[in-house]
Amino acid sequence: MRRGGRLAALAALVALAGSGCGVLPALPEPVPNEIVPSRVSDLEPAEGSETISPDGFDAVQRMAVRVRNVGCDELSTGSGFAVDEYTLITNKHVVADSDNLQVSTYDGRDIDVGTAATAALADLAIVRTRDALPSYPVLAETDPRQGDDVTIVGYPSGGELTISAGRVIGSTRDPLNANLGEVLVTDAKVEPGSSGSAALDDQGRVIGVVYAKTADDDSLLVPISTVRDLLADATAFENVATCEAS
Amino acid sequence: MTTTPPAPPPPDGYGAPPAPLPPPGPGRRRAGASPWLAAALILTLVLAGYLWVTTTQWQRTAQEWEGEARDHAAEAAALGRQLDGVNAELAAARDQLATATGRISELANEKAQLGDENVASRQHLDYQARVSEAAAKVAVALGQCVDAQEQLIGYLEDADAYDAADLTRFKNQVGELCDKAGDANDALQQELAS
Repeated sequence: MRRGGRLAALAALVALAGSGCGVLPALPEPVPNEIVPSRVSDLEPAEGSETISPDGFDAVQRMAVRVRNVGCDELSTGSGFAVDEYTLITNKHVVADSDNLQVSTYDGRDIDVGTAATAALADLAIVRTRDALPSYPVLAETDPRQGDDVTIVGYPSGGELTISAGRVIGSTRDPLNANLGEVLVTDAKVEPGSSGSAALDDQGRVIGVVYAKTADDDSLLVPISTVRDLLADATAFENVATCEAS
Repeated sequence: MTTTPPAPPPPDGYGAPPAPLPPPGPGRRRAGASPWLAAALILTLVLAGYLWVTTTQWQRTAQEWEGEARDHAAEAAALGRQLDGVNAELAAARDQLATATGRISELANEKAQLGDENVASRQHLDYQARVSEAAAKVAVALGQCVDAQEQLIGYLEDADAYDAADLTRFKNQVGELCDKAGDANDALQQELAS
Protein backbone atom coordinates (compact mmCIF):
# COMPACT_ATOMS: atom_id res chain seq x y z
CA MET A 1 0.00 0.00 0.00
CA ARG A 2 2.72 2.46 0.86
CA ARG A 3 4.67 1.58 -2.26
CA GLY A 4 1.57 2.14 -4.34
CA GLY A 5 1.05 5.51 -2.71
CA ARG A 6 4.58 6.51 -3.46
CA LEU A 7 4.23 5.57 -7.08
CA ALA A 8 1.03 7.56 -7.32
CA ALA A 9 2.68 10.57 -5.72
CA LEU A 10 5.65 10.26 -8.08
CA ALA A 11 3.34 10.05 -11.05
CA ALA A 12 1.46 13.07 -9.80
CA LEU A 13 4.73 14.96 -9.39
CA VAL A 14 5.88 14.04 -12.89
CA ALA A 15 2.49 15.01 -14.28
CA LEU A 16 2.62 18.26 -12.40
CA ALA A 17 6.10 18.95 -13.70
CA GLY A 18 5.02 18.04 -17.20
CA SER A 19 1.97 20.24 -17.11
CA GLY A 20 4.03 23.00 -15.53
CA CYS A 21 6.41 22.98 -18.50
CA GLY A 22 3.49 23.84 -20.71
CA VAL A 23 2.70 26.83 -18.57
CA LEU A 24 6.25 28.04 -18.25
CA PRO A 25 7.34 30.70 -20.77
CA ALA A 26 9.55 29.51 -23.57
CA LEU A 27 12.93 30.99 -24.24
CA PRO A 28 12.75 33.88 -26.70
CA GLU A 29 13.78 33.50 -30.31
CA PRO A 30 17.01 35.31 -31.09
CA VAL A 31 16.60 38.71 -32.65
CA PRO A 32 17.20 38.32 -36.41
CA ASN A 33 20.08 40.20 -37.96
CA GLU A 34 17.87 41.56 -40.73
CA ILE A 35 14.23 42.41 -40.16
CA VAL A 36 12.08 42.25 -43.26
CA PRO A 37 8.36 42.91 -43.42
CA SER A 38 6.30 39.79 -43.55
CA ARG A 39 3.97 41.42 -46.14
CA VAL A 40 4.70 44.26 -48.47
CA SER A 41 1.62 46.35 -49.07
CA ASP A 42 0.68 46.91 -52.68
CA LEU A 43 1.95 50.26 -53.80
CA GLU A 44 -0.42 52.27 -55.95
CA PRO A 45 0.72 54.75 -58.57
CA ALA A 46 0.59 58.39 -57.66
CA GLU A 47 -2.62 60.24 -58.32
CA GLY A 48 -2.84 61.50 -61.87
CA SER A 49 0.10 59.47 -63.10
CA GLU A 50 -2.02 57.14 -65.21
CA THR A 51 -2.73 59.85 -67.77
CA ILE A 52 0.80 61.18 -67.98
CA SER A 53 2.87 60.23 -70.98
CA PRO A 54 6.64 60.45 -71.15
CA ASP A 55 6.46 64.03 -72.37
CA GLY A 56 3.74 65.24 -70.02
CA PHE A 57 0.90 65.31 -72.53
CA ASP A 58 -1.99 62.93 -72.14
CA ALA A 59 -3.27 60.54 -74.77
CA VAL A 60 -6.18 62.79 -75.69
CA GLN A 61 -3.81 65.59 -76.67
CA ARG A 62 -1.31 63.31 -78.36
CA MET A 63 -3.82 61.83 -80.79
CA ALA A 64 -5.09 65.18 -82.09
CA VAL A 65 -3.59 66.72 -85.22
CA ARG A 66 -3.93 70.08 -86.90
CA VAL A 67 -4.63 70.01 -90.62
CA ARG A 68 -3.61 72.91 -92.86
CA ASN A 69 -5.21 72.81 -96.27
CA VAL A 70 -3.14 74.87 -98.64
CA GLY A 71 -5.54 75.39 -101.50
CA CYS A 72 -4.68 76.86 -104.83
CA ASP A 73 -6.23 80.18 -103.94
CA GLU A 74 -6.89 80.10 -100.23
CA LEU A 75 -5.84 78.62 -96.93
CA SER A 76 -7.99 76.79 -94.39
CA THR A 77 -7.37 74.80 -91.24
CA GLY A 78 -9.10 71.89 -89.58
CA SER A 79 -8.59 69.17 -87.03
CA GLY A 80 -8.17 65.45 -87.13
CA PHE A 81 -7.18 62.48 -85.04
CA ALA A 82 -5.17 59.33 -85.52
CA VAL A 83 -6.87 55.97 -85.81
CA ASP A 84 -3.67 54.02 -86.24
CA GLU A 85 0.03 54.73 -86.53
CA TYR A 86 -0.16 56.04 -90.10
CA THR A 87 -3.82 56.96 -90.59
CA LEU A 88 -5.86 59.89 -89.41
CA ILE A 89 -9.48 60.86 -89.83
CA THR A 90 -10.81 64.31 -90.57
CA ASN A 91 -13.66 65.84 -92.53
CA LYS A 92 -14.11 65.76 -96.28
CA HIS A 93 -14.54 69.51 -96.39
CA VAL A 94 -11.26 69.96 -94.49
CA VAL A 95 -9.23 68.32 -97.26
CA ALA A 96 -11.33 69.51 -100.21
CA ASP A 97 -9.84 71.73 -102.95
CA SER A 98 -6.36 71.10 -101.65
CA ASP A 99 -3.07 71.64 -103.37
CA ASN A 100 -1.10 70.57 -100.35
CA LEU A 101 -2.11 69.11 -96.98
CA GLN A 102 0.08 69.83 -93.97
CA VAL A 103 -0.40 68.01 -90.68
CA SER A 104 1.18 68.91 -87.35
CA THR A 105 0.95 67.33 -83.92
CA TYR A 106 0.23 68.66 -80.44
CA ASP A 107 3.92 69.52 -79.95
CA GLY A 108 4.35 71.26 -83.28
CA ARG A 109 5.98 68.42 -85.16
CA ASP A 110 5.18 68.31 -88.87
CA ILE A 111 3.90 65.00 -90.18
CA ASP A 112 4.67 64.08 -93.77
CA VAL A 113 1.38 63.42 -95.54
CA GLY A 114 0.95 60.71 -98.14
CA THR A 115 -2.51 60.48 -99.65
CA ALA A 116 -5.98 61.67 -98.76
CA ALA A 117 -9.28 60.02 -99.57
CA THR A 118 -12.83 61.17 -98.96
CA ALA A 119 -16.07 59.31 -98.37
CA ALA A 120 -19.01 59.83 -100.67
CA LEU A 121 -21.71 59.23 -98.08
CA ALA A 122 -20.38 61.21 -95.15
CA ASP A 123 -18.30 64.26 -94.36
CA LEU A 124 -15.30 62.09 -93.61
CA ALA A 125 -11.80 61.78 -95.02
CA ILE A 126 -8.87 59.51 -94.40
CA VAL A 127 -5.34 60.84 -94.59
CA ARG A 128 -2.42 58.45 -94.81
CA THR A 129 0.85 59.68 -93.40
CA ARG A 130 4.44 58.67 -94.05
CA ASP A 131 5.55 59.65 -90.55
CA ALA A 132 4.24 57.79 -87.53
CA LEU A 133 1.53 59.51 -85.51
CA PRO A 134 2.19 59.85 -81.76
CA SER A 135 -0.91 58.15 -80.38
CA TYR A 136 -4.28 56.88 -81.43
CA PRO A 137 -7.46 56.18 -79.44
CA VAL A 138 -9.88 53.30 -79.33
CA LEU A 139 -13.06 53.59 -81.36
CA ALA A 140 -16.23 52.97 -79.35
CA GLU A 141 -18.30 49.97 -80.32
CA THR A 142 -21.65 51.76 -80.26
CA ASP A 143 -23.04 55.25 -80.59
CA PRO A 144 -23.51 57.22 -77.37
CA ARG A 145 -26.89 57.74 -75.77
CA GLN A 146 -28.60 60.98 -74.98
CA GLY A 147 -27.12 62.56 -71.88
CA ASP A 148 -23.73 60.86 -72.20
CA ASP A 149 -20.67 63.00 -71.52
CA VAL A 150 -18.63 64.03 -74.52
CA THR A 151 -15.19 65.60 -74.82
CA ILE A 152 -14.05 67.25 -78.02
CA VAL A 153 -10.36 67.80 -78.70
CA GLY A 154 -9.22 69.87 -81.64
CA TYR A 155 -7.94 73.17 -82.95
CA PRO A 156 -10.87 75.63 -83.01
CA SER A 157 -10.21 78.61 -85.27
CA GLY A 158 -6.84 77.11 -86.11
CA GLY A 159 -5.56 78.12 -82.67
CA GLU A 160 -4.22 76.18 -79.74
CA LEU A 161 -5.16 72.60 -79.03
CA THR A 162 -8.36 72.86 -77.02
CA ILE A 163 -10.48 70.40 -75.08
CA SER A 164 -14.16 71.21 -74.64
CA ALA A 165 -16.75 69.19 -72.77
CA GLY A 166 -20.48 68.73 -73.10
CA ARG A 167 -23.25 66.19 -73.35
CA VAL A 168 -25.01 64.39 -76.14
CA ILE A 169 -28.31 66.16 -76.72
CA GLY A 170 -29.72 63.74 -79.24
CA SER A 171 -29.63 62.88 -82.92
CA THR A 172 -31.11 64.46 -86.02
CA ARG A 173 -31.14 64.32 -89.77
CA ASP A 174 -28.10 66.04 -91.20
CA PRO A 175 -29.17 69.64 -91.89
CA LEU A 176 -26.28 70.03 -94.33
CA ASN A 177 -27.13 66.84 -96.21
CA ALA A 178 -23.48 65.91 -96.06
CA ASN A 179 -24.08 62.62 -94.30
CA LEU A 180 -26.30 59.68 -94.94
CA GLY A 181 -28.44 58.83 -91.94
CA GLU A 182 -28.66 60.47 -88.56
CA VAL A 183 -26.00 62.60 -86.93
CA LEU A 184 -25.39 63.35 -83.28
CA VAL A 185 -26.00 66.71 -81.62
CA THR A 186 -23.99 67.79 -78.57
CA ASP A 187 -23.76 71.00 -76.58
CA ALA A 188 -19.95 70.96 -76.59
CA LYS A 189 -18.69 74.19 -78.12
CA VAL A 190 -16.86 74.07 -81.43
CA GLU A 191 -15.62 76.69 -83.87
CA PRO A 192 -14.56 76.73 -87.48
CA GLY A 193 -11.32 74.77 -87.45
CA SER A 194 -12.79 72.21 -85.07
CA SER A 195 -14.02 70.21 -88.03
CA GLY A 196 -12.52 66.74 -87.91
CA SER A 197 -12.06 66.81 -84.14
CA ALA A 198 -12.56 63.58 -82.26
CA ALA A 199 -15.47 63.40 -79.85
CA LEU A 200 -14.66 61.11 -76.95
CA ASP A 201 -16.73 59.44 -74.27
CA ASP A 202 -15.79 59.41 -70.59
CA GLN A 203 -13.52 56.43 -71.20
CA GLY A 204 -11.54 58.19 -73.92
CA ARG A 205 -13.11 56.22 -76.77
CA VAL A 206 -14.08 57.95 -79.99
CA ILE A 207 -17.84 58.26 -80.34
CA GLY A 208 -17.99 60.63 -83.28
CA VAL A 209 -16.29 63.16 -85.53
CA VAL A 210 -17.19 66.86 -85.40
CA TYR A 211 -18.18 68.24 -88.79
CA ALA A 212 -20.37 71.29 -88.20
CA LYS A 213 -22.10 73.53 -85.69
CA THR A 214 -25.69 74.67 -85.60
CA ALA A 215 -27.09 78.16 -85.31
CA ASP A 216 -27.68 77.39 -81.62
CA ASP A 217 -23.94 76.78 -81.13
CA ASP A 218 -24.46 73.07 -80.76
CA SER A 219 -22.03 70.75 -82.46
CA LEU A 220 -22.87 68.07 -85.00
CA LEU A 221 -21.02 64.77 -85.08
CA VAL A 222 -20.72 61.98 -87.56
CA PRO A 223 -21.56 59.03 -85.26
CA ILE A 224 -18.98 56.35 -84.69
CA SER A 225 -21.26 53.71 -86.21
CA THR A 226 -21.04 55.55 -89.53
CA VAL A 227 -17.29 55.91 -89.15
CA ARG A 228 -16.94 52.20 -88.45
CA ASP A 229 -19.14 51.23 -91.40
CA LEU A 230 -17.14 53.38 -93.79
CA LEU A 231 -13.78 52.26 -92.44
CA ALA A 232 -14.86 48.66 -92.94
CA ASP A 233 -15.77 49.35 -96.56
CA ALA A 234 -12.63 49.62 -98.68
CA THR A 235 -14.58 51.18 -101.54
CA ALA A 236 -16.15 53.90 -99.42
CA PHE A 237 -13.23 56.29 -99.85
CA GLU A 238 -11.84 57.75 -103.05
CA ASN A 239 -8.59 59.61 -103.41
CA VAL A 240 -8.85 63.38 -103.38
CA ALA A 241 -7.95 65.20 -106.59
CA THR A 242 -5.69 68.17 -106.05
CA CYS A 243 -6.91 71.56 -107.14
CA GLU A 244 -5.59 73.38 -110.17
CA ALA A 245 -4.43 76.94 -109.83
CA SER A 246 -6.66 79.40 -111.61
CA MET B 1 12.50 -17.53 54.79
CA THR B 2 13.61 -17.82 51.34
CA THR B 3 12.52 -15.82 48.31
CA THR B 4 12.46 -17.04 44.80
CA PRO B 5 13.99 -14.89 42.17
CA PRO B 6 11.64 -13.65 39.57
CA ALA B 7 11.43 -15.72 36.53
CA PRO B 8 13.09 -14.30 33.45
CA PRO B 9 10.74 -13.11 30.84
CA PRO B 10 10.04 -15.63 28.19
CA PRO B 11 11.62 -15.04 24.81
CA ASP B 12 9.54 -13.40 22.12
CA GLY B 13 7.38 -15.75 20.22
CA TYR B 14 7.16 -18.18 22.90
CA GLY B 15 4.18 -18.49 25.09
CA ALA B 16 3.11 -14.90 25.54
CA PRO B 17 1.09 -13.17 22.90
CA PRO B 18 2.98 -10.59 20.82
CA ALA B 19 2.76 -7.13 22.07
CA PRO B 20 1.36 -4.54 19.61
CA LEU B 21 3.87 -2.44 17.71
CA PRO B 22 4.28 1.04 18.98
CA PRO B 23 2.84 3.71 16.66
CA PRO B 24 5.36 5.29 14.23
CA GLY B 25 6.99 8.26 15.80
CA PRO B 26 7.70 11.70 14.23
CA GLY B 27 11.20 10.72 13.27
CA ARG B 28 10.03 7.99 10.96
CA ARG B 29 7.56 10.32 9.21
CA ARG B 30 10.33 12.86 8.69
CA ALA B 31 12.53 10.19 7.25
CA GLY B 32 9.79 9.15 4.82
CA ALA B 33 9.02 12.70 3.59
CA SER B 34 12.57 13.82 3.10
CA PRO B 35 13.01 12.36 -0.42
CA TRP B 36 9.89 14.16 -1.49
CA LEU B 37 11.01 17.36 -0.02
CA ALA B 38 14.38 16.93 -1.68
CA ALA B 39 12.71 16.24 -4.98
CA ALA B 40 10.42 19.21 -4.58
CA LEU B 41 13.36 21.37 -3.63
CA ILE B 42 15.32 20.24 -6.65
CA LEU B 43 12.32 20.77 -8.84
CA THR B 44 11.82 24.22 -7.36
CA LEU B 45 15.44 25.08 -7.85
CA VAL B 46 15.34 23.84 -11.44
CA LEU B 47 12.18 25.79 -12.02
CA ALA B 48 13.64 28.90 -10.46
CA GLY B 49 16.78 28.53 -12.52
CA TYR B 50 14.78 28.09 -15.67
CA LEU B 51 12.68 31.12 -14.88
CA TRP B 52 15.76 33.16 -14.16
CA VAL B 53 17.37 32.15 -17.44
CA THR B 54 14.15 32.78 -19.27
CA THR B 55 13.73 36.17 -17.68
CA THR B 56 17.22 37.28 -18.49
CA GLN B 57 16.88 35.98 -22.02
CA TRP B 58 13.60 37.85 -22.50
CA GLN B 59 15.11 40.97 -21.00
CA ARG B 60 18.06 40.77 -23.37
CA THR B 61 15.81 40.06 -26.34
CA ALA B 62 13.46 42.85 -25.36
CA GLN B 63 16.37 45.26 -25.20
CA GLU B 64 17.56 44.13 -28.62
CA TRP B 65 14.07 44.52 -30.06
CA GLU B 66 13.77 47.91 -28.48
CA GLY B 67 17.08 48.85 -30.06
CA GLU B 68 15.88 47.57 -33.39
CA ALA B 69 12.59 49.42 -32.98
CA ARG B 70 14.43 52.66 -32.18
CA ASP B 71 16.70 52.18 -35.19
CA HIS B 72 13.73 51.55 -37.45
CA ALA B 73 11.82 54.43 -35.95
CA ALA B 74 14.78 56.69 -36.65
CA GLU B 75 15.02 55.26 -40.15
CA ALA B 76 11.29 55.72 -40.69
CA ALA B 77 11.52 59.29 -39.48
CA ALA B 78 14.44 59.92 -41.85
CA LEU B 79 12.52 58.29 -44.71
CA GLY B 80 9.49 60.37 -43.82
CA ARG B 81 11.58 63.53 -44.08
CA GLN B 82 13.05 62.29 -47.35
CA LEU B 83 9.55 61.50 -48.60
CA ASP B 84 8.40 65.01 -47.72
CA GLY B 85 11.36 66.39 -49.63
CA VAL B 86 10.77 64.12 -52.58
CA ASN B 87 7.07 65.00 -52.60
CA ALA B 88 7.98 68.67 -52.61
CA GLU B 89 10.37 68.04 -55.50
CA LEU B 90 7.67 66.04 -57.27
CA ALA B 91 5.19 68.86 -56.87
CA ALA B 92 7.79 71.30 -58.20
CA ALA B 93 8.56 68.93 -61.08
CA ARG B 94 4.85 68.66 -61.87
CA ASP B 95 4.58 72.42 -61.91
CA GLN B 96 7.61 72.64 -64.16
CA LEU B 97 6.15 69.93 -66.39
CA ALA B 98 2.85 71.78 -66.62
CA THR B 99 4.72 74.97 -67.46
CA ALA B 100 6.82 73.15 -70.02
CA THR B 101 3.86 71.47 -71.68
CA GLY B 102 2.00 74.75 -71.71
CA ARG B 103 4.99 76.41 -73.32
CA ILE B 104 5.29 73.58 -75.85
CA SER B 105 1.63 74.06 -76.75
CA GLU B 106 2.19 77.80 -77.12
CA LEU B 107 5.24 77.25 -79.31
CA ALA B 108 3.38 74.69 -81.39
CA ASN B 109 0.58 77.19 -81.85
CA GLU B 110 2.99 80.00 -82.71
CA LYS B 111 4.69 77.75 -85.23
CA ALA B 112 1.32 76.85 -86.75
CA GLN B 113 0.28 80.49 -86.94
CA LEU B 114 3.59 81.45 -88.54
CA GLY B 115 3.14 78.60 -90.99
CA ASP B 116 -0.35 79.86 -91.79
CA GLU B 117 0.95 83.40 -92.25
CA ASN B 118 3.78 82.13 -94.40
CA VAL B 119 1.40 80.20 -96.62
CA ALA B 120 -1.02 83.11 -96.74
CA SER B 121 1.81 85.49 -97.63
CA ARG B 122 3.04 83.17 -100.33
CA GLN B 123 -0.46 82.87 -101.73
CA HIS B 124 -0.81 86.64 -101.59
CA LEU B 125 2.49 87.07 -103.38
CA ASP B 126 1.41 84.57 -105.99
CA TYR B 127 -1.81 86.50 -106.35
CA GLN B 128 0.03 89.79 -106.62
CA ALA B 129 2.34 88.29 -109.21
CA ARG B 130 -0.63 87.04 -111.21
CA VAL B 131 -2.32 90.43 -110.93
CA SER B 132 0.86 92.21 -111.93
CA GLU B 133 1.28 89.89 -114.87
CA ALA B 134 -2.32 90.46 -115.88
CA ALA B 135 -1.92 94.23 -115.44
CA ALA B 136 1.15 94.15 -117.63
CA LYS B 137 -0.76 92.26 -120.29
CA VAL B 138 -3.66 94.71 -120.02
CA ALA B 139 -1.24 97.62 -120.29
CA VAL B 140 0.37 96.10 -123.36
CA ALA B 141 -3.05 95.47 -124.87
CA LEU B 142 -4.19 99.02 -124.14
CA GLY B 143 -0.91 100.32 -125.55
CA GLN B 144 -1.43 98.29 -128.68
CA CYS B 145 -4.96 99.66 -128.84
CA VAL B 146 -3.69 103.22 -128.57
CA ASP B 147 -0.98 102.63 -131.15
CA ALA B 148 -3.48 101.09 -133.51
CA GLN B 149 -5.92 103.92 -132.99
CA GLU B 150 -3.17 106.47 -133.66
CA GLN B 151 -2.24 104.54 -136.76
CA LEU B 152 -5.90 104.48 -137.81
CA ILE B 153 -6.17 108.23 -137.23
CA GLY B 154 -3.15 108.75 -139.44
CA TYR B 155 -4.69 106.63 -142.13
CA LEU B 156 -7.99 108.47 -141.88
CA GLU B 157 -6.24 111.85 -142.17
CA ASP B 158 -5.02 110.73 -145.55
CA ALA B 159 -7.93 108.50 -146.41
CA ASP B 160 -7.81 109.17 -150.12
CA ALA B 161 -4.43 107.51 -150.27
CA TYR B 162 -5.83 104.18 -149.04
CA ASP B 163 -8.44 101.73 -150.20
CA ALA B 164 -11.70 102.34 -148.37
CA ALA B 165 -12.30 98.62 -147.79
CA ASP B 166 -8.83 98.21 -146.28
CA LEU B 167 -9.45 101.16 -144.03
CA THR B 168 -12.74 99.70 -142.88
CA ARG B 169 -11.15 96.31 -142.21
CA PHE B 170 -8.32 97.92 -140.30
CA LYS B 171 -10.77 100.03 -138.37
CA ASN B 172 -12.67 96.87 -137.38
CA GLN B 173 -9.46 95.12 -136.35
CA VAL B 174 -8.50 98.09 -134.22
CA GLY B 175 -11.95 98.07 -132.69
CA GLU B 176 -11.68 94.36 -131.81
CA LEU B 177 -8.23 94.89 -130.37
CA CYS B 178 -9.41 97.77 -128.24
CA ASP B 179 -12.51 95.88 -127.15
CA LYS B 180 -10.37 92.99 -125.96
CA ALA B 181 -8.02 95.35 -124.21
CA GLY B 182 -11.00 97.06 -122.60
CA ASP B 183 -12.48 93.73 -121.51
CA ALA B 184 -9.15 92.69 -120.01
CA ASN B 185 -8.92 95.98 -118.22
CA ASP B 186 -12.45 95.63 -116.87
CA ALA B 187 -11.66 92.13 -115.63
CA LEU B 188 -8.53 93.38 -113.97
CA GLN B 189 -10.36 96.23 -112.30
CA GLN B 190 -13.02 93.83 -111.07
CA GLU B 191 -10.36 91.50 -109.67
CA LEU B 192 -8.63 94.37 -107.94
CA ALA B 193 -11.91 95.62 -106.54
CA SER B 194 -12.87 92.21 -105.11
